[in-house]
This record gives sequence, C-alpha cells and structure tokens, in this order.
Amino acid sequence: MTLTAPAKTVCVIDDDKIYIYGLKKLISIKQLSPNLMEFYNGKEAIDFLTDPENLDTLPDIIFLDINMPVMDGWGFMESFVKIKPQLGKKITIYMVSSSINDEDIQRAKTISDITDYVIKPISPDTLVELFRLAA
Amino acid sequence: MSEERDTTLGMFPIGMQALNQHYFANMQLHYLIESTNTGLWERNIDSNEAWWSPKFCELLGYKYGELDTSYIYFLDEIVHPDDRTLVYDSFQNHLKKKTEYKVEFRMRTKELGYRWFESSGKAWPDEKGKLTRVIGAVTDIDQKKQTELNLKKNEFLLNETNKIANVGGWELDVVNMELTWSKEIFEIHELPFDTKPDLDSAISFYEAGYRDTLSAAVSDAIKFCKPFDLELKFRTAKNNVIWVRNKGVPIIDGNGECIILRGIFQNIDNIKLKELELQKSLDLLGDHNRRLQNFAHIVSHNLRSHSGNLQFMVNIFDENISSAEKEEVFGNIRSISESLANTIDHLNEIVKIQTEISKELKPVAFESTFKNIQTALDNNIRKTRAIICADFSSCPTINYVPAYLESIFLNLLTNSLKYRHPDRYPQIICETYFDKEHTWLTFEDNGIGIDLDKYGDKVFGMYKTFHQNANAKGIGLFITKNQIESLGGSIHIASTVNVGTKFTIKLT
Repeated sequence: MTLTAPAKTVCVIDDDKIYIYGLKKLISIKQLSPNLMEFYNGKEAIDFLTDPENLDTLPDIIFLDINMPVMDGWGFMESFVKIKPQLGKKITIYMVSSSINDEDIQRAKTISDITDYVIKPISPDTLVELFRLAA
Repeated sequence: MSEERDTTLGMFPIGMQALNQHYFANMQLHYLIESTNTGLWERNIDSNEAWWSPKFCELLGYKYGELDTSYIYFLDEIVHPDDRTLVYDSFQNHLKKKTEYKVEFRMRTKELGYRWFESSGKAWPDEKGKLTRVIGAVTDIDQKKQTELNLKKNEFLLNETNKIANVGGWELDVVNMELTWSKEIFEIHELPFDTKPDLDSAISFYEAGYRDTLSAAVSDAIKFCKPFDLELKFRTAKNNVIWVRNKGVPIIDGNGECIILRGIFQNIDNIKLKELELQKSLDLLGDHNRRLQNFAHIVSHNLRSHSGNLQFMVNIFDENISSAEKEEVFGNIRSISESLANTIDHLNEIVKIQTEISKELKPVAFESTFKNIQTALDNNIRKTRAIICADFSSCPTINYVPAYLESIFLNLLTNSLKYRHPDRYPQIICETYFDKEHTWLTFEDNGIGIDLDKYGDKVFGMYKTFHQNANAKGIGLFITKNQIESLGGSIHIASTVNVGTKFTIKLT
C-alpha cells in the first residue's frame, strides 16, 4: 500500500477513547495519514476550526460521531455549515456511528455536507476505501 | 210495522221470528242498517236460540242463513277460545248485575281467520218483567284493534327500552321557555315527578365546568339551529355524581327559526366510567409499550457500541502488529469487557423496574427517607457546603415503593451536588404537596443548569451526558424517570443555564 496523493490530515470527533485508539492504529497500520487530530465533542472541533491560527492545519477528512456530550454530531454539522465559507478548503465529512437507527441514517442523507454514513466498526478495507474516495 | 207491535222492544212476542220479521218488513230501515257495517243480533235468553242479521253473517264472511246461529255454537265455534270466558262473563254480568254489555273479542271468520269485533247489547223484559231476550249490534274493529295493540306493544317496548337505556326525552318550548320532561328524566334527576322543571334549574344540576358547556350549546341551538350531543358530569338531587348524555335537536319553523328544542337525556354513568377506565388502561399500555420500545432501542444501541469496539479491536489484532501493540489492544479489549458488564448491569436494573410485579406499595415518610439519603451523601454535602431545605409538612407520607423513593432522592441530590455552580455554594429546596388527586415533589437547585432548548428531550435518556464532567454517567435521571413512570407518575424539568434546575415530579 503506497500513498498516491499527498498525506491527508485526518480529524476524528468522538467521545469514545477506544474507538479513537482503534482508528488511529488502523490509519497508521495502513499508512493512510501521519497527521491525526482528535476531539472529544463537536464543540472542541468547531472551536479549533474557527480559530484563524489553525487555518493552515485544517483537516481533509473528518470522522464524525453522532452521540457526544456538549455538542453532538448534528450540532456540529449545523455550526459547520455556517463556518464552511470561511474555511476555504474542501473537507470530506464521514458520519461514523454505531446507530443503525434509520432515522439517523436518513437524517444524515439530507445533509449535503456529509459524504457518507458509516456504521461502526469500520473495517480496514472500508477505511482504505473512504480515504480513496476523499482524494 | 203493524199497530199492535209498535211498542217497546221488550214487548215483542217471544220467538226468533220477531226481530227477523221486523227487520225485513221495513226495507228502508233494513238498507240503512245494512249499509252501516253494523251487524244486528238477537238472542233468546232461555232457549239460547239466536238470530244474526245478514250484515253480521257478511262480517264473518258467510251468507245469510249459512250459519248455525245458536248461542252455544257461537260460544264454542265462533268466539276465540281465549275470549270465551270474557264474552260469557260479561253477558252474565249484564243479566245479573245490570252492567253494560260491551265487549271486544275475536271471532273466527270464514276465510280471514280470527278478527276483532266489538259487540254490545241490552236485555229486554217481557210483559211480566222477566228478561227474555237480548238485542245487540256488532262491528268489525279489527284494524283499530291491531293499531291499538301495536301501539301498546310499541309503548311497552319504548318504556322498557327507556328503562334499560336509562334514557328520557325532553322538550323546550323556545317561545315561552317552557321545559317538559318525560318520567325517566325525573328519575335520573332523582326528583319527584311533580317537580316543575325550568331551564335554569335544570342546568344547575350539572357540575361546574359542564354548566357553561351546556348553556352555550342550548343557546347556540336556539340562535343558530345547531344541534348538540354532549357527555356531561351531573349531580342528582340526592347528590350522586353521574355522567349523562344530553342530545338536543332544534325544530325549525318556516322562517328558519328554532321554535322547539327537543332532545334525549341519558344516564351513561356505567358506560362512561368503563370508557374512562378503558382509556386509562390504554394509556398505561401505550406508556408501557413506549417504554419497552425505548428500552429495546437502548439495548440495541448500547450493546452495539461495545460490540462494535470489540470487533474493531479484534480486526486490529489480526493485522500485522507488534507484540507491544497486541498488549495494548488486549488492554482495550479488557476495558470494553468491563464497560459491557457495566452496561448489562444497568440494563438489568431497568428490566427490574419494568418487570417487578411485586412493587409493593407501603406508606413511606418523606422526611426520614430524605434524611437517610442525606446521611449517605454526608461527605459530599459537607465538602460542597450545600444548604438543603426540605419541607414535607404539607404532605408528609406517600404510598410508594420505598426503594424507589430512596433512589429518586439519591439521584436528584447527587445530580444537584455534581452539577453545582462553581461560583456559589449549592442551595437545594425540596418540597412535597398534595392537590386534589396527586402527590407532587419538587426539587430545586441553584446549579449550572442545562440548556433545555438544546437538550430538552434527551435529559432523561440513557447514557446522555451534557457537561464535560468526568463522573457523568448518564444513568441516574434515566432510572429515576423509569421508576417514576412505572408507578404511573411523571417527571418534568425546568432549567436556566447558570441559574439552576427545578424538577417537578408527580409521584402518584
């Protein structure tokens, strides 16, 4: 497995530490990206994205969980749509959740900034595919 | 008619030819009587001989002379067996007690079976004063009688139906505002039949809150010709509270004005109470169903997140990783297994609340239960320097599951201490009170509060945490809500960020 595109910056927004550990590990095993940011809820991520100092280090891909304290995945998307024009960068967002609730899946589909809805756990092959699609 | 016979009927010579001859002798009289549909008859009291006029024979479908007209034959063959005694007795009574001979009975006709007739007659004495003959007339009253019998039957049915259905009729003459009631309405009101009803006093029997509804409906019916059909709470003259149905239909004159309001009034207490009972069970069932569905959702969601992580770790384990990494992954698997066990414990606790059939209600004192919880949390209360004011004086006890009440107090108090405001000492006010039907508990703090616009529906969800608090588990309020609802209560939250939170709980 070799990287054909320049290294992507990945951002994971999730309150599940074990999941973050697993995702990080898998990304490094598959050599998908050397740069990974982690946030434990939507608010932390929005705070980071809106800070002008971070303009050079914005992520290419976001893995977004739904159920989180303080600001959940939906809340994050609401804020994200508002700040998107100021970012000046295309960010691919994958919503990743263990919820198989159809209501959640349909709701994600109605948000055009969400590229896809992935049900946890992400298999290694799916992860590789998600990176390829985001290229 | 000859001179010597022109005397009172009783003076006719005895013998059946007399009236017979008389009848046919005067043809004009004969035609007149024949065209009235009235049959004539004569009977000799001693010999039982009898004579029937041609019309009489015709009424029975026979030709004149075709019938044996003796009284014996009449009683045995013509009169309906069930009416025989009646006919015979009224005849005898007429003779012996001088009562009027006028009797309605059935006679067998030639072709139409039995029909109803009315027969009347009078006994006449001979020259010695002895009653010797009876002369009378008979008319066909079948149609009238059938109608009358039908009417009686219908009346009987209606009365019975009204009695069974507990229903009566009323009429309001709009012009002079005169109200009339049928018997049943007095009975439902438990008023004597001689009471004079009027609209105002009729409306005063309804319970407050229903009076205005009915008044408005009656006035709308009169003004706009709008019919109504209402179920209302009602207090009888003997102070019994029942449910009644009152239905009114306006009768409209040529000008489109309501002149009469007519309606039915029914005691529906039994039905209504059953309906309310049914609705209650339905609500309960719906509630139960909703909780069950919610629970299934919780189970699937919470177990899924653990099983997902487990799978995730196993997948990584299968990749080409170092033994140090494998050690790490295994450490994660261990902690997943611990949280899984934890979640299952929590789910068990919920299942216990849902299925515990032996929820034994006991009188519990709020004061002592709350004291116990305070003692249990004493360290925490001291550390946070919380001020707790509890006042259970207006409702000191309740019939409840003691363990639930403890759990409710524990969760609420723990929450208030956990989410206290960093800039001030916690102040907690806890009170109970009783309104007409329910026991209420309020629990108020001055903590950091929660933005309900944002999280409103999730506050009571399982594993929902809203603050970045290390020891927030998101199980307390979920259990509290489940316990309260399983006993038919409800919990409501009001909160302002940075001001505080108030829970209002309907316990029973």
